[in-house]
Amino acid sequence: MRKYVFQRFLQLIPILVGITFLTFGMMQFAADDAVDVMFEQSGGVTEEVKAAKRAELGLDQAFLVQYGHWLQGVVTGDMGRSYISGKLVFDTFMDKMPATVELMLASVGLTLLFAIPLGIYAAVRQNRWPDYIIRFLTFVGNSLPNFFVGLLLIYFLALQAGLFPVMSSADNPLSVVLPAVTLAIAMGAKYTRQIRAVVLEELAKPYVAGARARGVPERWILWRDVLKSSFITIITLLALSVGSLLGGTAIVESIFMWDGVGKMAVDAILMRDYPLIQSYVVWMSFIYVSVNLAADLLYHYFDPRIRYGKGDNA
Amino acid sequence: MKKQHNIKMALAVLVTAALLASGCGSQSGSKSAGDAKTFTYGTVAYGVSNQNTGTNPHDTYVGWSSIRYGIGETLFRFTNTMELEPWLAKDYEQIDDYTVKINLKDNICFSNGKKVTGEAVKACFEDLLQKHDRAPKDLKIESMTADGQSITIKSKEKVPALLNYLSDPYGCIIDVEAGEHDKIVIGTGPYEATSVSDTEIDLKKNENYWGETKPHMDKIVVKSITDGDTLTMAMQNGELDAVQGLPYSNLELFQNNDKYNVSQADTSRIYQVAFNFKTPALQDLRVRQAISMAIDKENFTKVLLHGQGTPAVGPFPASMTFGDNAVHTVAFDKEKAKGLLKEAGYADTDGDGYVDKDGKNLELRYLTYTSRQELPLLAEAAQADLKDIGIKLDVNATNNYKNFLKSGEYDLYSNAFVTAPTGDPEYYFSTHVLKSSAYNMGFYYNDRIESLEEQLRNTFGADKRSSIAIQMEQQILDDCAYFYASHLRMSFVMKKNVKGFAAHPSDYYEITPELAKD
Repeated sequence: MRKYVFQRFLQLIPILVGITFLTFGMMQFAADDAVDVMFEQSGGVTEEVKAAKRAELGLDQAFLVQYGHWLQGVVTGDMGRSYISGKLVFDTFMDKMPATVELMLASVGLTLLFAIPLGIYAAVRQNRWPDYIIRFLTFVGNSLPNFFVGLLLIYFLALQAGLFPVMSSADNPLSVVLPAVTLAIAMGAKYTRQIRAVVLEELAKPYVAGARARGVPERWILWRDVLKSSFITIITLLALSVGSLLGGTAIVESIFMWDGVGKMAVDAILMRDYPLIQSYVVWMSFIYVSVNLAADLLYHYFDPRIRYGKGDNA
Repeated sequence: MKKQHNIKMALAVLVTAALLASGCGSQSGSKSAGDAKTFTYGTVAYGVSNQNTGTNPHDTYVGWSSIRYGIGETLFRFTNTMELEPWLAKDYEQIDDYTVKINLKDNICFSNGKKVTGEAVKACFEDLLQKHDRAPKDLKIESMTADGQSITIKSKEKVPALLNYLSDPYGCIIDVEAGEHDKIVIGTGPYEATSVSDTEIDLKKNENYWGETKPHMDKIVVKSITDGDTLTMAMQNGELDAVQGLPYSNLELFQNNDKYNVSQADTSRIYQVAFNFKTPALQDLRVRQAISMAIDKENFTKVLLHGQGTPAVGPFPASMTFGDNAVHTVAFDKEKAKGLLKEAGYADTDGDGYVDKDGKNLELRYLTYTSRQELPLLAEAAQADLKDIGIKLDVNATNNYKNFLKSGEYDLYSNAFVTAPTGDPEYYFSTHVLKSSAYNMGFYYNDRIESLEEQLRNTFGADKRSSIAIQMEQQILDDCAYFYASHLRMSFVMKKNVKGFAAHPSDYYEITPELAKD
């Protein structure tokens, strides 16, 4: 297994180089650079001042040279400094990461808390009223964009009912509720439908019929056998969700003033803060590879027929 | 049966848990802004994208945060009519065209208790010149000498607006010996920072404040809130005592409402449209005048900006001595505009609703960007109004506008700009109307403007400078080089119990010692 994990991380190297190279290249297509943005509010700055700043930041060098310097820094553990704030990129990331992880854990926890029972219940009550209602609600949940759900929740639960604060605050642990619920509604809707579908599929399999014939209690079949088999689907969904949530959710973070990496990334892109953007890209690649690797390892736990490597998972 | 019962039980437990969790939060609503000695302020103007996170005025635009939130103060400050008055300075003496001696008040100290002397100010300016991007170019300082409570500044060139520049937020006086720790510097203002992040500044009362009015609040929390709807609802929910930067459409929720007060001020931020003189049709003064006459500024500010703007005449608001009251331009008159187009040889010969000449419709490309909410609205207004006089406007509202500016693919370019950030008119002229101006996107050129600017550059005294500025503005308006649509009206919304918090035309001074809560 160690060899397999090592190989997977080795595969990360060409992915990282490819993605960061592409991102770096795409940023060169922008009409302005970090220096233009820095001096945007100051019309009096001459091109000489801008040129000096570019030289200071190394932006006057050829694209490949700039990329090479950046790559060299990353390999030696130096992710550089933000052009805009001057802070170390690594420190900036570490400042924002706890909030992002907290929101990810809260929203994924909430999603699972509702989606698993609702998905199973809808499957068990297939084509009856509870199923119709759950399917309708998941349809609505899937259709509503996050920013709209967020504003609705603020309006009804914060403004009208006064139950929660509008803005996030380190002093108030309840401030995580609304952003987490906002994210959980869309994710939960998707999860519920998937779980319902996979449970229905499992329930139709011969082993369930066999278990029923042997007189195994329905509850046992459902919660132990069917649910365990369904975990492959749930883990796949979780891997994608956790990856995307660890990359931050810029819109939800902006609405609830949640100081996470998503908002930081959007600010960095607006400000053409290349070191920060590049590091964000590295981070995203890393978490996707890591989370997918963790998912693969969990697949094996839930279904021992799945083997590591070479795709021999039969 | 039992299975179904269990699932129902599980669902009931979940719902109950969720409701209990909600119940626990029932007292959370307005905690943060409830304390009479704590002022919580939400603003869209603080944040990484504004390059003003921190408190050190010698760093990019951070001085704006320093002065706005009561940490730093400058030697001189602007009055409500944007004239200079001494602040930390007692008075000054213009020794010659290159030398000025500034005398400091005797009773000023930093928040750490250290006295502000000529030497401390000199050290502060030396640090400013070493670290800041714009200050050396603005101030052109050759040497400084300190003597007791005075500092003498000698410039390399004539800098008539030197005192104005020293009143820019970067001119806040800080104790450079004390240094900067965790983005916190020591200033002379009524409040001192206790913690600074990219999204929040926490402040406490400066116990050593030198002014006659001592700060009233124990603690101030400045929160960066980038989403306009969140800002609105946080204010409505009582989580904030005051806000700045509400969307125009939401401002009405707080106006004529017993729970809130609104403070407004016209600023020198202008929404303007540059005519591209490289476009053949726009080289004809009559066409430019017709366009200027056809756009209804009153309607634009009243309807689209919900009254949160003032129709403009020229680049400067009426509150300034060289502002809108001192100049004149063509009045809104669509019939007259049609007549001017006719005089210029344009007529709708093919009956398609658009005027044409030599078989070609008068069709113009209008470039703007969307990051300022007012600009796309102005584009819509201009498009509708110009259609009435037979001009087809193709609007290109894009945040990739710099590409189009570089390639010259526009006939009209609309932008927002702060025309007099230091209360002096020269900044706008030097950046917008000279052949060498960085922002002269219309390629406007007039010999008289160039020579008047030369004169302005060498003239001292606010009255004389104002007189030259008025001549330049009038020339620009007569040439119809720009169409000036509206001045931004800045608004603060605050709870009824908040006192001493008012919008200022400079957009610099927000938290002052007068700030209090009943």
